[in-house]
Amino acid sequence: MGATLLAQQRETTAEERERFSALVGEHLDGLFGASLRLTRNRTKAEDLLQETFLRAWRSFHTFRPGTNVRAWLYRILMNAYIDGYRKSEREPEVVDHEDVDEFYLYSKVHESEDFRRAGNPEEVLLANLMDADVKGALQGLPEAFRNVVILADIEGFSYKEIAEILGIPIGTVMSRLHRGRRQLQVKLWEYARRAHYVGAERPSGGTGGGP
Amino acid sequence: MTEIDCEQVLEQVWSYLDGELGENAYIEIQAHLAECAGCGPKYEFQRKLFTLVEQKCKEGPIPVELKQRLFRLLEG
Repeated sequence: MGATLLAQQRETTAEERERFSALVGEHLDGLFGASLRLTRNRTKAEDLLQETFLRAWRSFHTFRPGTNVRAWLYRILMNAYIDGYRKSEREPEVVDHEDVDEFYLYSKVHESEDFRRAGNPEEVLLANLMDADVKGALQGLPEAFRNVVILADIEGFSYKEIAEILGIPIGTVMSRLHRGRRQLQVKLWEYARRAHYVGAERPSGGTGGGP
Repeated sequence: MTEIDCEQVLEQVWSYLDGELGENAYIEIQAHLAECAGCGPKYEFQRKLFTLVEQKCKEGPIPVELKQRLFRLLEG
């Protein structure tokens, strides 16, 4: 190989590297957050992000300029995650709450005497849910549901984009999203009840045995 | 009043919040929610709950060292 060809190749790579860096750089915050939520562990999240970054670089020549770069990156992220990082995880049991509707949490706070006594039950609930409660509830979801909830409710992707990212039909996206959101509400209500946001000082009467 | 009833509205509240409805359905539901004392608060609660989940689960920006480490990988 001649020296000119080598120099040309180096130039192309440098140019590509610059294009790649500009395109991917602005999505690294989002990808890092998503990696943390998926792996639930800082070291694993860094590994996953690095793997995603390298895979993206290696397949950068297949990326068509002008198409959805964010969805392309998240597809690589989800594939890397599915290939490598979830194998060691213990999957929470899939319990489907078919009887739970979209307004489970709303109904629960309104049915609760403690919350009703507090005046504005919805506001009391929302004001008292902690970061850890919401993250814990999300982490407790079965993986297939959790991935869709993360992509829709935290990353803000459309149903169609999620279908493309995960390689599943839109109907499946909607079904998983709805089931995931319902389960999330069931879990949030468990946290809210356990934490005694309201009525903690009052004797509970009946069940007893409080702290 | 609009023609759509409460049950139909509440069934579609998530798709409405997700911006996944066609324009006509969107306008119908929007009008219903503005007028209906039963559906309005339920919708408001869902909207606030979505915002809360998003806020509580957001993570900070990527650490600078990590970002630098990633970009160094390209030079290898």
